[in-house]
Amino acid sequence: MSTAVERKTKNYLTGLKEAMYEEMESNPDLICMGEDIGLLGGAFGVTDGMQAKYGAERVIDMPISESAIVGAACGMALNGKTVMAEMQFIDFISCGFDQIVNMVATYCYRTAGEVPIPMVIRGPAGGYGGGALYHSQMNEAWFCNSPGLKVVCPSTPSDAKGLLKAALRDPNPVVFYEIKELYRKRSIEEELLDGDDALIPLGKARVGREGTDLTLVSYGNPYHLSLSAAKKLEEFGFSAEVIDLRTLVPLDEETITESLSRTNRLLVVNEAPMTCGFAGEVLARLSQAAFEHLDAPPARVTRTDTPVPWATPLESDVLPSVDDIVEAALKLCRY
Amino acid sequence: MPERELARTAEPRKVSKATEPLPRDILTPDDYRELLDQLYLARYFDVRLTKEKKRGRLRGTLYSSHNQEAILVGSLYALRSTDWISPIHRDMPAFFLKDIKNGWDSKDRLGMSIEEVCSQVWGRVDSPGRARDNWSHIGSKKKRIIHSTSMLAGTIPVAAGVVYADRLDGGDNVVVTYNGEGSTAQGAFHEGVNFAAVHKLPVVTVIENNQWAFGTPAHLGCPTEDVADRAKGYGIPGLVADGQDVLDVFDKVSEAVEYARSGKGPSIVECKTFRSYGHGDHDDDRAVKYRPQDEVEVGRSRDPIAEMKKVMIAEGLLTQKEADKHPAEYKGAGEVTDHDFPERVVEFLSRGVDFALKSPLPDASEARRWVFKEEDQ
Ligand SMILES: Cc1ncc(C[n+]2csc(CCOP(=O)(O)OP(=O)(O)O)c2C)c(N)n1
Ligand SMILES: [Mg+2]
Repeated sequence: MSTAVERKTKNYLTGLKEAMYEEMESNPDLICMGEDIGLLGGAFGVTDGMQAKYGAERVIDMPISESAIVGAACGMALNGKTVMAEMQFIDFISCGFDQIVNMVATYCYRTAGEVPIPMVIRGPAGGYGGGALYHSQMNEAWFCNSPGLKVVCPSTPSDAKGLLKAALRDPNPVVFYEIKELYRKRSIEEELLDGDDALIPLGKARVGREGTDLTLVSYGNPYHLSLSAAKKLEEFGFSAEVIDLRTLVPLDEETITESLSRTNRLLVVNEAPMTCGFAGEVLARLSQAAFEHLDAPPARVTRTDTPVPWATPLESDVLPSVDDIVEAALKLCRY
Repeated sequence: MPERELARTAEPRKVSKATEPLPRDILTPDDYRELLDQLYLARYFDVRLTKEKKRGRLRGTLYSSHNQEAILVGSLYALRSTDWISPIHRDMPAFFLKDIKNGWDSKDRLGMSIEEVCSQVWGRVDSPGRARDNWSHIGSKKKRIIHSTSMLAGTIPVAAGVVYADRLDGGDNVVVTYNGEGSTAQGAFHEGVNFAAVHKLPVVTVIENNQWAFGTPAHLGCPTEDVADRAKGYGIPGLVADGQDVLDVFDKVSEAVEYARSGKGPSIVECKTFRSYGHGDHDDDRAVKYRPQDEVEVGRSRDPIAEMKKVMIAEGLLTQKEADKHPAEYKGAGEVTDHDFPERVVEFLSRGVDFALKSPLPDASEARRWVFKEEDQ
């Protein structure tokens, strides 16, 4: 895959692509399904060239039928295959919602473990790109609230690769949120490992920046905003630790608790709407688990309880910004 | 609201054997006797559970398949052991009727034992799903029965995926999915059949058109007289069978199965029938009010057991005296007794019931297990 002219560092999209190719190569039972993923190679190119290499039977161009994509993937998974089901945008996952939460998520449970469903439903997610109402969503809370699904969201190229590989090897269904604003972001490019060395286990958070005065917990776009906010906070004399959750279900409470035992302050940053969003879940769980460590009321910065509008000033208004995070963090630090 | 005529069940099909070769031609006299016994068995299961429910011995809703038995019996008889099925709420007997032609008590047939099915009905730990979901929501990967959810038509895309995988592995197994006529209005029906048609997958969608979807008559759910006409939009065969005639169902489903197995793709087989009672047992009293009595009488006027006896008498496979020995036909659960059924049938099911009653309830410690795959599995 590497050529002489290629940069050594690779972007998030390449991480995903390498994960797909490596797993397709090592697992002959892996099937890919989605809209425009074969002939075209996917709307964003994650499966670029894959159909030519592995054939139209393994890389299936599906009709615009999210229920059929998820449902048929489920049928294949119960009959011995592993399936990657692509949602062209994660917003469209709502059209396959019933199949995901009622058919796929419950299969292992209702069969008393006889039929786990090894499949990954993945797709581009998140705002900050002018995608407007139906190309900006972070709807992960729907699935975190549906027992039986693992929910993953990588924030870096190596995590994109390693987590996707791990998800494709997990015997359980995984909903995989890719952050499309990070797909080609130059500033986060990294060198990537290959094969098993690239694997990142599900359920393990990562401390992306060490600090002593407060802990910022996030994933996806807000993770990078949090890193920027942490830099600004230095100017105010505060040292922020930044945790990237990577996996929401199962949640790595341990890593957050350990961090809070040192920083004693918690701020969760999330780009989903506030009410019943995942930030609320982290707050509730950590308020209980780490209550003794906390020196200030734990807080969150989230999207407003609105859809994501299109025009730039509108979009910026509803989504969390670096300034929003700094402001909330300062309040916490000065409490 | 659109005007509505009384629901029409199928007219008896006139077959002239001499001119028309039919799938049924391969059936032997023993097959005919077996089919009749299976009709009795499906009926006995239904009336026995209705009685058990009335006695307060069962939890949950009983969706009676009374008067619709020929659809399950005839279609399942057209399959081979390794074919897949996906039954829905009204198809409880399908779980033990699958592959039963290979021996009611055969341990290695690819269908559920009556003990397993009864354990499920009674919510016991010996149910294939350890009673984690109720009634028809069971299945078995090994026995090739797809587990349904309550979400109507939801198993059609899944069934398509199952046979897609099978075909990739070089198999030529067929899947038969069962759905009521009302469920054909679901998006998942369209998406599933469409996908199957595009890829010529061996998916036979049997529509049990019992004229009613809970409280809604068929014409308010489907704009065409024949639900099978939906097939036209997918460029696939849409067959109509007389759902009261087990042999006609066998013929039509055999045709569709043969078509599917030879790689030509999916079909829809609509079986016209009539729902005898309420939607579920909770609805029996109300159904009497929302359905015209004359329609119900016509709908129940061709009991599948009686229809099969007629054929067998005409073909010299049954004497009138033998036919009268077990007069279960046209009787509801309130009127029928065990003597109306062959001993073999009563004995078979009673064994399942006795087993289930002795099977323990699952322990509460299981309630939180298997949300995800466990290490030891
Ligand atoms: C998606 C969905 N919507 C509604 C229901 C509630 N419901 C259960 S059975 C039924 C009627 C089904 O009618 P039909 O498909 O004709 O099957 P029948 O009961 O007549 O055999 C309804 C509305 C359901 N189970 N699933
Ligand atoms: Mg119906």
